[in-house]
Amino acid sequence: MRAIALVFVGGAVGAVIRELLMLGVPTARDGFVGSIFIANIVAAFILGVVTGLHSRKVIGTNGNLLLGTGLTGGMSTFSSLVYATFVLLAGSAADFRVGLLYVGANLVVGFMLVLAGLKIGEAIGGKNLPG
Amino acid sequence: MLLSDVALVAVGGGVGSLLRWSVGKLFAGTGAGGIPWSTIVINITGAFAIGYLSVLFSVEWHDRYGTFLKSAILTGVLGGYTTFSTMELDTAKMFRAGGVSKAAFYIIGQLAVGIAAAGLGAELARAGG
Repeated sequence: MRAIALVFVGGAVGAVIRELLMLGVPTARDGFVGSIFIANIVAAFILGVVTGLHSRKVIGTNGNLLLGTGLTGGMSTFSSLVYATFVLLAGSAADFRVGLLYVGANLVVGFMLVLAGLKIGEAIGGKNLPG
Repeated sequence: MLLSDVALVAVGGGVGSLLRWSVGKLFAGTGAGGIPWSTIVINITGAFAIGYLSVLFSVEWHDRYGTFLKSAILTGVLGGYTTFSTMELDTAKMFRAGGVSKAAFYIIGQLAVGIAAAGLGAELARAGG
């Protein structure tokens, strides 16, 4: 029961953060959706940190459910990313280029940040490896 | 921006996240060959759904505000249900375990199939399906 509450609350907060970004960060004229890009890469970083901390037992199952499954899962979005990319790829030649840039930027920067987050979380946790 | 829109996004995000968590437990972590099937299933079904529903709701993909359907279902439920961060974490784990091509194939493949699924959903809705 508590797990359900943690995932729900974390997911709700994450989704609201993404919504606020969508309201505050306008989509560029060329079509690059900055709000979703920011939400995704920040969520990837946070998930890396949370996972690193969890692996070193700095946070437990509940923390992981709230912040990992909940918050970063709610904040990040795969559906919005790929649908916007599809529309761009199906558009003009200029749109197509932006589409590639958009999905590529999410992929690459997200990957770099999740790796960085993992390293940071593990470093904070130190040598406290799971038994 | 109405407070009610934010509330709808919040509830939708919570519901979508619970759906994602449930599907994740069904697949109980990585499956055959160390492939995170739960992430794949969640993201691809969510991609198809957003393509289909966006056209059905007649939403321009860059304009997400103002109505119940957009806030609750698209931004909320589907945004909460699908996950970019988990996909990146899966990829990072494969990469760190030495499976560089596996990691690349996983993430590029998932994005490619996701884009196609979203497009298929949109086309189906456009065709009146």
